[in-house]
Amino acid sequence: MAEEEFDNVPNWKSDFPIQLKKATHVNRREFAKFLGLLSGALALGNGGIVIKALAFPAKPLEGEHFVCNENEVPVGEMFQFSIEGSKVIPYILIHLEQDKWRAFEQKCTHLSCAVRYEPKEGKIHCPCHHGYFDADTGEVLQGPPPRPLPQLEVVVKEGKIYVEQAEENKNV
Amino acid sequence: MSDFRTSQSKAHPNKTNTLMTGIILMLILFISIQIWFLFGALNNALEDNFFFAVITFIGSLLFALASFWLLRYLPQPIKDEPLKRKPSDREKDKAPSID
Repeated sequence: MAEEEFDNVPNWKSDFPIQLKKATHVNRREFAKFLGLLSGALALGNGGIVIKALAFPAKPLEGEHFVCNENEVPVGEMFQFSIEGSKVIPYILIHLEQDKWRAFEQKCTHLSCAVRYEPKEGKIHCPCHHGYFDADTGEVLQGPPPRPLPQLEVVVKEGKIYVEQAEENKNV
Repeated sequence: MSDFRTSQSKAHPNKTNTLMTGIILMLILFISIQIWFLFGALNNALEDNFFFAVITFIGSLLFALASFWLLRYLPQPIKDEPLKRKPSDREKDKAPSID
């Protein structure tokens, strides 16, 4: 009886004694353990956001920054510029009407595509997913962006245009 | 002789399978909620909403602890049935004889 049992097991099977029944069982265990690990990683990621918010708070823009001369941007036109701080942030300056200027961050609040002012529609348009912002206030009019565009205060001095942190954001 | 465990196993032959499925489904549910928290925290962190980031972190941590705790209830793996190999002639020689 015992001899028959020995004869039935080929050598390759005795060298790699993994049963199919056991292999599938372990796989599910491993999958469950992996899910536990993933859960821990997600909690750590969420903690990372808290640490980042504590360690590197968003710094408001300091002082006035020269953009361009007043006569360089006609009414209804847009001017692109960037301000270098801890990182380079692109902005757009819009000449809405005579003596009415607006400056917004150029990064769409949805997925950071570059937005453009559409003078025909009088709105700021994001070409990626067709989000529209109000050119006067920066509020979201349409599309997927979750927040309004961050705005800067525009100051005109002796024909020159400067931008500074908007009043409501100065205390942030 | 039949004990409680044997009769229970006979009454519910798919118990291990059901437990495993239940645990995995609960883990997937926890992770889905955690992804939702993380997405919300990322979006709100951009708006300097620190309070939201802290609350979602605490929630996510609790779900992670619950996930680890659930792993305690994973069914034990099936024990290996050792495969018998035909002993070689040398092994046969080495074996002490009963005679």
